[in-house]
Amino acid sequence: MAGCAMNTQLIADNIDYLLIGNWANGQPGGLALTLFLAVAAGSIASLLGLAGGIALTMGQPGLRRTLEAVIAVLRAIPVMMLIFWCYFLLPILLGIDVPGIATVIAALALISAAYLSQSVYAGIAAIGHGQWAAGQALGLGRWQTLRWVILPQALRVMLPSFINQWITLIKDTSLAYVVGVAELTFVATQVNNREQIYPLEIFGMIGLAYFIVCSTLAWLGSRLARRWQPV
Amino acid sequence: MKFSIALAIAALATSLPALADRLDDIQKAGVLRVAAFDSNPPFGFLDGKTRQISGLDVDVAQAIAKKIGVKLELVPTNPANRIPLLVAGKADLVAANFTVTDERRKQVDFSLPYFASGQQFIARKGILKTPEQLAGLRVGVDKGTTQEIHLREKYPQTTLVAYDDTPLAFTALRNGNVQAISQDGSKLVALLAQAPDKQKYELAPFTLTREYQAIGVPKGETRLVSLVNDTLKELEKSGSAKTIYERWFGPDTKQPLPRDFKIGDQS
Repeated sequence: MAGCAMNTQLIADNIDYLLIGNWANGQPGGLALTLFLAVAAGSIASLLGLAGGIALTMGQPGLRRTLEAVIAVLRAIPVMMLIFWCYFLLPILLGIDVPGIATVIAALALISAAYLSQSVYAGIAAIGHGQWAAGQALGLGRWQTLRWVILPQALRVMLPSFINQWITLIKDTSLAYVVGVAELTFVATQVNNREQIYPLEIFGMIGLAYFIVCSTLAWLGSRLARRWQPV
Repeated sequence: MKFSIALAIAALATSLPALADRLDDIQKAGVLRVAAFDSNPPFGFLDGKTRQISGLDVDVAQAIAKKIGVKLELVPTNPANRIPLLVAGKADLVAANFTVTDERRKQVDFSLPYFASGQQFIARKGILKTPEQLAGLRVGVDKGTTQEIHLREKYPQTTLVAYDDTPLAFTALRNGNVQAISQDGSKLVALLAQAPDKQKYELAPFTLTREYQAIGVPKGETRLVSLVNDTLKELEKSGSAKTIYERWFGPDTKQPLPRDFKIGDQS
């Protein structure tokens, strides 16, 4: 029972640091920073992914080929490597100093956007040719057909892919530790290394936190998907 | 893997022309950025109360910042990131239990040593009494440390498992993944003192090396090196170096360890 009291104490002493980091001294961290990284990278990735998927569908062959090459490169690099190289190499090669948080957001956004572009492209392709013909028959141009006929149906098809990618992205924010960004996993490691002997308790709690965040997003996603069902 | 990346980055950086004098940059910015451990008590770790990185290395870094007359900003680091941070200009100095080696001297400059220790081992009781017994053992080390390098070169029959940091290696020892772990003796004394099941383990009764820890400085920054050296010498002369040591390794601390090295003993 003494051990149990110890564990409660351990959690009570560190919970604020794990949730918000050292916010009081102007250094937000922990779960709050994890959520910030995920929302920022997720928003940028979604916009870029949508643009990328549309460009793959509508673009000239030259643009499509370039885009496909960029996507192929991004998908082939481990996220951690991209973060590591951007953080340490850009200052040396280009003389620009990118802060850790910005590096992580950029790396996660780019890689997620590459995956999402393919999802968007596939989602648009899944809508039958008849729909494009229907748009034209109504006197709509190609872009108008895309906007008013194709995308409303395609986005519904894509939603599960987007949710998938957002969940992956939330978990990938833990890779920010490699450049010393104090997100949830990083601060948990700091606490674990001070306490030394409670890895099970600390990382159990961290696992639970990721589970709650990710499953909440999945639940919201499935609710949204149901609401979007065509009547 | 990270270590070879560090080498690649260093190779790239040394091929580029030198930038303006770093000491001027620091004074202009009003901030000294020092890479310190955030996970290695008592050298650098996150204080439970203040939520700031503190420790012996941080006290030394603070003295240097004071000498220059600027604010100290700590950049959290780990053994494998120390050289990349310095070479990429993300930190002005490294104060992270940084052992001086010839290999590292190719990439960074060092100040006078301000700490000395030797490579030691923690093992389950009775398993490790002599260096010969290392052959055939699974030994946990921290990635990118001199301990890892030394064992790889001199004890090829030992199976090494590299972990991100010492507490993780110690967890592996307690779980039975490895039979011993290796680090600086000073760090192991501290680690063992805090373990709840310390009666199961012991410090192996031999020391493989004598190592010196110093402040890492970007290559070619001679003014910065001499300023750091002056600060260190003053710390020793005024007795502050001893006070700092006693704060972390004195008789009343968790890891009492007599001071057997003074700044200036080794250049």
